Amino acid sequence: MIRFENASVTYPGGVHALKNITLEIPDGQMMVIVGLSGAGKSTLIRAINGLVPLSAGDVTIDSVSVRHAKPKQLREIRSRIGMIFQTFNLVNRTTVLNNVLMGRLHDAGTLRSLLAWYKPEDVEIAMQALERVGIVEKAYVRASNLSGGQQQRVGIARALAQQPTIILADEPVASLDPPTSHVVMRDLQRINRDLNMTTIINLHFLDLAKVYGERIIGMRAGELVYDGTGSEADENVFRDIYGRSLTADDMLGEAAAAG
Amino acid sequence: MTAATAPRSARPSRPPRSIVGPLGFLVFLAITWWASSEEFGLGVDIPRLVANLTRGADILAEFWPPDFSVVPRTIGPMLETIQIAVIASLIGCALALPIAFLASRVTSPNVATYLVDRGVLSVVRALPDVLYALIFVAALSIGPLPGILALILFNIAVVAKLLSETVDGVDPGPLEAARASGANRLLTVRWAVLPQVLPNYVAYSLYAFELNIRASAVLGIVGAGGIGNLINEYRRFFQYDNLLMVVIEILLLVIIVEWISIWLRRKLV
Repeated sequence: MIRFENASVTYPGGVHALKNITLEIPDGQMMVIVGLSGAGKSTLIRAINGLVPLSAGDVTIDSVSVRHAKPKQLREIRSRIGMIFQTFNLVNRTTVLNNVLMGRLHDAGTLRSLLAWYKPEDVEIAMQALERVGIVEKAYVRASNLSGGQQQRVGIARALAQQPTIILADEPVASLDPPTSHVVMRDLQRINRDLNMTTIINLHFLDLAKVYGERIIGMRAGELVYDGTGSEADENVFRDIYGRSLTADDMLGEAAAAG
Repeated sequence: MTAATAPRSARPSRPPRSIVGPLGFLVFLAITWWASSEEFGLGVDIPRLVANLTRGADILAEFWPPDFSVVPRTIGPMLETIQIAVIASLIGCALALPIAFLASRVTSPNVATYLVDRGVLSVVRALPDVLYALIFVAALSIGPLPGILALILFNIAVVAKLLSETVDGVDPGPLEAARASGANRLLTVRWAVLPQVLPNYVAYSLYAFELNIRASAVLGIVGAGGIGNLINEYRRFFQYDNLLMVVIEILLLVIIVEWISIWLRRKLV
């Protein structure tokens, strides 16, 4: 279970990105965070794996404090949390497999990993991760030669290769076209259901959030302004979260087909 | 005409011209005058230079024709020059790799390491390679070893500087991904940064090798091995026809190495 206890983040410029957040995310939940850009969605997600340090309060994962973890402990915590990014964050110049094997670095031994002399087990875990997102045949292709949707699936495979218990996804479909967005969201949904991984996703398209979010939380100016199920979240709720009336730009459009 | 339908809005007024450019040019002219004037500087006298241009012709004439018979004698020293450049490039560029990562804000473990590494690199870069060769010749002995050591320092200075600046500009995305996966710093550098800068690193190393071939021809003049020893000997005994032969050989070697290097670098992109 992930717990936020009065967690606050103040950036060096003085921006209060998170204000006194208290939140519990039970194991295996698929939770979507919505809100305008700058509302603190990315900060909330990065507070979970300590990429953004808290300035007050704490985040605990299975009762272990992220804020007070020593560097080694923090790496251990991070190794159990897979992360997926808006811009994929792949190394374009190297192969898909090498990118996915990045998810094994925490466990593969420093000397072996330095020399790219991976154990067959680690390579097999990476291959299985690629299989799960359906692009195992691209293992030896350069990452830059894939389409956007394929690159994001490599990003997902990299996270899966960590064999994590939690998946964090920061705007995973914001760089993709609508049909590909649904493919990637369905991949995430399937992983959440099949592997029972807690999945936390930032989205700014409200229709996607409603379709895929088992639970939706809304953020505005660093504060939690909504916490409920996807079916409860109607237009009024979203208007409240956004602090303005909704427009077509807030929807991905194209009839959502949940699997 | 669509432009006619849009209402014309006020145009912003032009900001005042900067005087930095013209002022800088004047300062440049003033410094040039200072450096070349009779009273303060070198006393450059262009009319006299032109008038005396023909005087060197007698000496230059002694260079011609090049003496091909010395070629067998030059083979050994030429090889030594190439060997010095190869060894110094391999060792220098290998050492430059970790030093470059420590000298970049992106990959350095802490600010202190970064500042110390940058500082040491600046000091190493401040002295020219010939000076290093002189120091090592004095400290060790005449021969190729001081030449190799001087060029290793030179290569570290050049390659680490260029590479650390390339590392500063890498895409931070993969770094964040590696950090988020729980990888330690060393492996983050190895798998998120190195693949991004590897082609640059190879290109810089080839460039350093080119410079080494050129430099190791000169280093011999101060006793640091290679073809430079021979140049010095021919110069001292006024054997200008032999000297020209050596110059031609160096020219050919440098051009060939440059061609190979350019071809390899183009393959990398």
